[in-house]
Amino acid sequence: MECRVLSIQSHVVRGYVGNKSATFPLQVLGFEVDSINSVQFSNHTGYAHWKGQVLTADELNVLYEGIKLNKVNHYDYILTGYSRDTSFLETVVDIIQELKKANPSLVYVCDPVMGDHGAMYVPENLLPVYRDKVVPLADILTPNQFEAELLTGRKVNTQEDAFEVMDLLHKMGPETVVLTSSDLPSKKGDQFLVALGSQKIVKPDGSKTSQKICMDIPKVDAVFVGTGDLFAAMLLAWTHHHPKDLKAACEKTVSVMHHVIKRTITYANEMAGPGKRPSPAQLELRMVQSKADIENPAIVVEAKVLHKSSQ
Amino acid sequence: MECRVLSIQSHVVRGYVGNKSASFPLQVLGFEVDSINSVQFSNHTGYSHWKGQVLTADELHVLYEGIKLNNVHQYDYVLTGYTRDTSFLEMVVDIVQELKRANPNLVYVCDPVLGDHGSMYVPQNLYPVYKNKVVPVADIITPNQFEADLRISLTDSLLGDRFLVSLGSQRQVRPDGSRATQRVRIEVPKVDAVFVGTGDLFAAMLLAWTHHYPNDLKMACEKTFSVMHHVIQRTISYAHELAGPGRRPSPPQLELRMVQSKADIEDPAIVTEATVIS
Repeated sequence: MECRVLSIQSHVVRGYVGNKSATFPLQVLGFEVDSINSVQFSNHTGYAHWKGQVLTADELNVLYEGIKLNKVNHYDYILTGYSRDTSFLETVVDIIQELKKANPSLVYVCDPVMGDHGAMYVPENLLPVYRDKVVPLADILTPNQFEAELLTGRKVNTQEDAFEVMDLLHKMGPETVVLTSSDLPSKKGDQFLVALGSQKIVKPDGSKTSQKICMDIPKVDAVFVGTGDLFAAMLLAWTHHHPKDLKAACEKTVSVMHHVIKRTITYANEMAGPGKRPSPAQLELRMVQSKADIENPAIVVEAKVLHKSSQ
Repeated sequence: MECRVLSIQSHVVRGYVGNKSASFPLQVLGFEVDSINSVQFSNHTGYSHWKGQVLTADELHVLYEGIKLNNVHQYDYVLTGYTRDTSFLEMVVDIVQELKRANPNLVYVCDPVLGDHGSMYVPQNLYPVYKNKVVPVADIITPNQFEADLRISLTDSLLGDRFLVSLGSQRQVRPDGSRATQRVRIEVPKVDAVFVGTGDLFAAMLLAWTHHYPNDLKMACEKTFSVMHHVIQRTISYAHELAGPGRRPSPPQLELRMVQSKADIEDPAIVTEATVIS
């Protein structure tokens, strides 16, 4: 497999977020990963302390220039995640546009990280950049419910609302949208959260429709950091292997997440000791220990295909 | 295995040198790798063009401070390679000394990158820093002949001029408390190409295999040299395919086939035998 990904994300010295979270799993699955580190921090910002440096939009441009001058600016995928800076994000957009001209088949996997549980945790002025410039370029989008609501200006109260929001997102650009989490009620009870996916397909007769899927994902009582980054990277990998089968791609992706998270929470609880809540350091994803699950995830969740078509 | 490495090396967006060369193989072998990127360049400096930014000694210190403030500055290994800046190197020494105080069992694997084939390719003022400050805190060093500053010429390989000779030496303590030195010799097949990042891969893999064979330098070297062989063979085959018949491959084409060599990294078939000399 000869597949090259350009990933523009954070680097942390210790732990697994951003490029640290995405790179190893993609490499283990045989992808060549070129990585531009948008920041270098000692660790993620959920620890008591964090220190480091950020890359400016100009410095990002300089790095890309180096790649371009050597005529090696050919990528099959681009992957982006958490960003805090509008000019940086706008430079990313310019780079993607140029890379898409160099390779029209390029697939841009975008995690539009803006917030969760009803609150933004990036500057507000990123929303118009995502909505008007980034999302139109995206081919695969992995918003959570809050981010999907922000991007479309619509609230999600029911599954029907979620479907409408995903269709609106399709109209904005991406052919594949995965709502990575929602607060919709799960049929399996309150220990589960609902994730939804939608992929535009062209039927044999040429007409367009979309395939909608639904997954019930077991909740885990802990705050993990970097899981969204791992999710987007693994969705990239599994949609690469199952480009027209969102059900299969999502089952693999969510299953990898499950194995990594279970291994992590078990280890974290061991480290913390009985009755104590694990610390951020103890909750770092058990990434290298999960290599076998990353390579070949046992399927532990079933995605249901929901029969509803829309144009 | 619960083993944490702090690797302070370059990062390149594309290709495999420095941390890009060391991290994936160590992670594949189950090591936790914390990495401080001393630079971020588009690619290594053997391409026609390269662009990027360097980390200052102060910025390195700031990153280390973050780790320390969170009380997570416990490492089993430190790994360093190519550096161009004396103040950066001196900051690295301070950090290593502090980490050794935090964990007296820490093993510092140091590739004292200074030059090759008779000439230096880093600023000359790095030499005294390596000699007087860095090497004294190192536990494992991987110099080439030039860096080791040998005044005698090495013997030729017994297998002819398509091989080069590598030598290893390890000080050991016998069960009865007496000291011994194990010396090994390996004949390594030459390959007609210039690879970049192979020294970084070598140091990382020597870290890994001496971890598994701490008192058996022969075995550690056989594994390390075998991994190198597999990666290099795969790389040169692919590079020739890409370049086409009769053409010399370019630097991008000669990038190590790292992710494709995962199985060889995990479990290298031994293709070279190290001879114990004494």
